[in-house]
Amino acid sequence: MLNHGLENREYVKLPEGVDIAITPAGVVSRSYAYIIDFLFRSLIMFVVSLVFSLLGDAGQGIILIIYFITSWGYNIFFEMKNGQTPGKKRLKIRVVQDNGLPASFSQIVVRNLLRPADMLPIGYFLGLVVMMFNSRFKRIGDWAAGTMVIYDDEVEARPELPKGNIEIPVLSLSTEEQLAVLAFAERSDELSDARRSELAAILAEPFKLETSEAQSMLVGYARFYSGQLSNSNEQAQSETVQ
Amino acid sequence: MKQTQFVKSNSQSWNEFKALCELAESESLPVYFPNMYRKVCNDLAIARSRQYSPVLIEQINRLVQYGQKRLYLSRSNQFSEIWHVARTAFPRALYENRIMLGINLLAFWGLALIAFIWVMLDPDAVYTFLGQSTVLQIEEMYNPGGSVQTAERGAAQDLMMFGVYIYNNIGIAFQMFAGGVLFCVGAAFFLLFNSFYFGAIAAHIVNIGFEGPFFSFVITHGSFELTAIIIASAAGCQIGYALLNPGHFTRGYAIKQAAQKALPLIVGAFLMLVLAAFIEAFWSPRDIANEIKYSVGSACWAFVLYRLYKGMRYGA
Repeated sequence: MLNHGLENREYVKLPEGVDIAITPAGVVSRSYAYIIDFLFRSLIMFVVSLVFSLLGDAGQGIILIIYFITSWGYNIFFEMKNGQTPGKKRLKIRVVQDNGLPASFSQIVVRNLLRPADMLPIGYFLGLVVMMFNSRFKRIGDWAAGTMVIYDDEVEARPELPKGNIEIPVLSLSTEEQLAVLAFAERSDELSDARRSELAAILAEPFKLETSEAQSMLVGYARFYSGQLSNSNEQAQSETVQ
Repeated sequence: MKQTQFVKSNSQSWNEFKALCELAESESLPVYFPNMYRKVCNDLAIARSRQYSPVLIEQINRLVQYGQKRLYLSRSNQFSEIWHVARTAFPRALYENRIMLGINLLAFWGLALIAFIWVMLDPDAVYTFLGQSTVLQIEEMYNPGGSVQTAERGAAQDLMMFGVYIYNNIGIAFQMFAGGVLFCVGAAFFLLFNSFYFGAIAAHIVNIGFEGPFFSFVITHGSFELTAIIIASAAGCQIGYALLNPGHFTRGYAIKQAAQKALPLIVGAFLMLVLAAFIEAFWSPRDIANEIKYSVGSACWAFVLYRLYKGMRYGA
């Protein structure tokens, strides 16, 4: 099994014998998606009440029916197409089965009919507690339906590193270690100078780099690992990369 | 093999594979697609075990995801499934959940009977269970003198009540289903509360001699409504019980199994409640001779009980 300490990823075993990595969506992005959906639903209800309240008693009945349909059917209707409500689409997250495939209709129905249990006692408190106790952030409805909410592929793409010198590592690193170098390069702009050199010193140790050049060399390695290749040194790479 | 060599020798087939994954769902795939998919899975395993760069692994990982989605496309089923559920899955689920259903039926009717007898013997007891204003409101509703039934009710009011019944009753049924997940507590509470309420009110109505308007009103839609509420409660309890007693499965797996088993029940209860709301709004308040109402109501009860029996006994 792969070590996934560095990234918040889950590995799903396929019948083909490999694991694929997916990134479960956490509490914050799902809450944002919920708020967007909530506002959207409120808007629908507001417009509906405005129009049908002109119709007297019959209008009241129609308002209640539409209110019933939007409060229970909104999520089912949108999620059964591709697992995304408008809010989830905005946050680039979607509902999938436990094995990463698109969720089926019955699963969507179960996860949404069980919402009242997650809402107990107030404001999705129980759902939040359950979500925080498992690494896939499944609420009660997700457990019963066998679904989870994950990030779309586009979000998972790594940020592009700025162009610059490409350094070819002298050692061959494991994927996990390569990942650490990449993550260092991607985040180095956000770190303070002191923290950056501290981290660089740790990473540079196996390469036996001078402290002064460690940072720029590591970013150069990261460019190499991220696949920034220039034709001139392609030959050299095929010698060094193992 | 070096990484660049690996990429060079495979990139063409990866591109080809990606293009196939992006075909529209309606187009059929070539017969060699599964082979290609397995090849890409293999490539992913190779890239991982040889510790190639994370970016490359990520790319192949995504290819596998695309391929998996395309190959195991879920049926484009959706709403037409509801009919299938009502016709075959619902009766089968009645059979599969017959024990839980039996317990819920007994609990509902047992407690309703206890409440009924209690209030019959001690008419004042109704005020300890229900507030005075509630009792007055109900008395007024079924008063033979100026009752809701005899008053001419317009189509607009019928529609309004239809909305109320849909929103209220089905909302309660869904909440019972969800509440059942909490170790059956949510479902059982609503079920027992409703059964006691129903029993006490029925007895009180008999005590004050308003049974004519009351029973002729509730008999027809009651067949579908009460049975559906019990079924919804049983569906919720089935899931809650799986958490309490998962048997030799993990709780995560047991709850998933139970939810799939109970889902047709809640869909069936939903359809029954829509029908009940329709009857309650458009048929029950009509000012027709009680004999006709009792015979139609009895026919509905006979139908519901017959289907319930057939479902629980034979799954048909």
